[in-house]
Amino acid sequence: MNLRSALKPGFVGGIVVVYLSAIGMVERFQDRNVITGLVGLGVVLMLVAFAITSYTAARKSDSSLLTGVAVGFISGAFVAIVTMGFEGLINAGLDVRGMFVSITPGLLETLEFGLNPVVGAFMMVVASTAVGAVSGVLVGLEYHLRSAVVFAIGITLLMSLGEPILRVTLGNLQIPTGWLYELGGLTIAGTIIVLALAFGLRWWWMSRADTRREAAAQMPEATRRTWGRASLMAAIVALVALPWIVGPFVSDVLGTVGLYVLLGLGLNIVVGYAGLLDLGYVAFFAVGAYAAAIFTSPASFLVTEEGQQFAEAGFTNLWVALPFVVIIAVVIGAAIGAPVLRLRGDYLAIVTLGFGEIIRTLVLSDWLSPYLGGAQGLTRVPAAPPSSFDLRNPQHIYYLILAFSLIAAYISYRLVDSRVGRAWAAMREDEDVAEAMGISVVRYKLLAFAMGAGVGSLGGVFFAAKIGSIFPNSFGLQVSINVLAVIILGGIGSIPGVIVGAAALVGLPELLREFGEFRLLIYGAILIAIMIFRPEGLLPNKRRQRELHEGQDLAAVDLTKEGPS
Amino acid sequence: MSDAILSLRHVSASYGPVRALDDISIDVNEGEIVCLLGSNAAGKSTTLRTILGMTRANAGEIVFDGERIEGLTTPEIVSRGLTMVPENRRLFGKMSVKENLEIGANLRDDKAEIQEDIERVFSLFPRLKERIRQRAGTLSGGEQQMLAIGRALTARPKVLLLDEPSMGLAPILVEQVFETIQEINSQGTTIFVVEQNAHMALSIADRGYVLQTGSIVLEDTAANLLEHPKLSDAYLGEME
Repeated sequence: MNLRSALKPGFVGGIVVVYLSAIGMVERFQDRNVITGLVGLGVVLMLVAFAITSYTAARKSDSSLLTGVAVGFISGAFVAIVTMGFEGLINAGLDVRGMFVSITPGLLETLEFGLNPVVGAFMMVVASTAVGAVSGVLVGLEYHLRSAVVFAIGITLLMSLGEPILRVTLGNLQIPTGWLYELGGLTIAGTIIVLALAFGLRWWWMSRADTRREAAAQMPEATRRTWGRASLMAAIVALVALPWIVGPFVSDVLGTVGLYVLLGLGLNIVVGYAGLLDLGYVAFFAVGAYAAAIFTSPASFLVTEEGQQFAEAGFTNLWVALPFVVIIAVVIGAAIGAPVLRLRGDYLAIVTLGFGEIIRTLVLSDWLSPYLGGAQGLTRVPAAPPSSFDLRNPQHIYYLILAFSLIAAYISYRLVDSRVGRAWAAMREDEDVAEAMGISVVRYKLLAFAMGAGVGSLGGVFFAAKIGSIFPNSFGLQVSINVLAVIILGGIGSIPGVIVGAAALVGLPELLREFGEFRLLIYGAILIAIMIFRPEGLLPNKRRQRELHEGQDLAAVDLTKEGPS
Repeated sequence: MSDAILSLRHVSASYGPVRALDDISIDVNEGEIVCLLGSNAAGKSTTLRTILGMTRANAGEIVFDGERIEGLTTPEIVSRGLTMVPENRRLFGKMSVKENLEIGANLRDDKAEIQEDIERVFSLFPRLKERIRQRAGTLSGGEQQMLAIGRALTARPKVLLLDEPSMGLAPILVEQVFETIQEINSQGTTIFVVEQNAHMALSIADRGYVLQTGSIVLEDTAANLLEHPKLSDAYLGEME
């Protein structure tokens, strides 16, 4: 190894840590305990940055341990020097915070591990070098061992970050948590137990991988199907039991995640299956929410003289309104779709972007404000709960969202391998030939658009019912972007991907509220990382994976082994 | 001609201001193999696109099976029994062989009959059956041409339109492809084939037309055309 190959990653690691510190992330994160009394999240963040740079550099080198140590040392030294520099500037009486607002005494204390500046700087270098050494050793380890170590560390971090949910959940299950958690972080004993358990489980699971594969291969088709069905049932039972285990707060988060799962499944039909990039998906979400509000809110313009009959006919009941809302959305979807679907690719994306904005502007307009409430929005949606089922209770509406998500997932699943799904796949690949083969491209595009609109409007209905009041600013471009990011992260065209994407992009930030101000930064960093390292998403659809890794060794893949995912 | 299953009568078509077809008339009788010959840019592919409604005719009429089709959409025309094997094959490369064949049958509903047609394709091209789950894009050139023909056949066409089936294939494969076309014809499918390879096409065809810069310049039986001195003119015309 030569020193130069360690220089660049070393500086990158150092600069990343200094950057994260200077924007205040390290200090803010440090408030959160990972291992109470020992390590805070801010320090973990730094160590992870060191570890990633050392690891990637060590992997490319033939002497991984040396490279790891060198990278770790350089990163740590860089951070230590910058820290001492700031310390010196402050001591010299300069107003550092006039420029770097986040360079607080608290931050410097974190960067010096609470010691005096010189010892602190030394500690920083020692810590980063140690992390670099560990990363270098990890690279050299045999695959199973490495995987088990990384898994154990990852699980421990997740257990610690998940403290707010897990403590409540375990409490609801009458499991004592005192030994595991303390002051928002893991106890030292808890950490050791979790590390050991995770390591052991992973090791055991991987050592049995061959046996398991053999058993699976020998299993008759019928047994395999029974197993598949049984695990699906188990998953559904778990999903049904979930809100009562995790309590109302997490249930509320689960409801929001479910909403995005629903929206993701809808957009997935349009973007993933039919290949139409729709950047204005929020339009259908808004249509669903506003239609539901108009039908069911007592503040609605429909509740006037002639509207009275309407109410008496039972339309103000959410259940009765639901199918009409979906029909309206499908009709609007088709009406918007008809003129624009002759456009392709980028042009379609830009026009849909415009439609999303048009809907929002229309809602805000004076012209429609007597009907849609303008900036004041519409409140009390629906006025009376449809029955004893209380929509305002997060544990109740969760079920509504879950039920419709399951239906949407089932329909999506069945669509992929159907005639319609094949026609979409053909269209995505070569529109001209698809047309020459007799596939009515316009009709299939419209179908995708209308189905996406219908599912999106359901999301809107539940959003309105969940929040109880709707305002135009809930329907901005951000929603379209979020939903698109959900399906990109999970894997375009993949149903499990939508669920994972929604959980990661919507669920995690809700649970890590204290990091609110850095949310978009983290969001962006994750998306960039996904695009670079895994463009097919976390749980990809097999066909997409082939499309993106064209020419790599997937050439002779046996297509029967793929589920329709 | 009254027994023509497909006829173009005084058809013209243009791309913007550029006239691609100028008043052409072609008749294809039931059970025949008819070829349309011509050099690059003579308008051969445009003729096929116009028949299928992918390019609109400005004038003239196209009659298929006794009805005018020039105003119909492509899917409507395909569903009446006209299917094309596109130039350069244009398979759905990321789909399996089986899926490509199923796409051909996309307009039809009867699962049993589709399966029957797929089996028929496999009996024509046993090689495809061996590769049923393989990705179409990984097939060899000859296999891809077979699959492209197979994909068109699962639509159960009355008339099969082929756009330069010999393009980019080794001579031995070209011969095989044309033998297969003959076999498909003998099983009762009418064939209209567009080709640059005049001798190969005429060797299996009943009749032929020669297209030059958008107009039909020759029309005769295949045997006569093969002997015709002007045939080479039609090809060399541009180079003179």
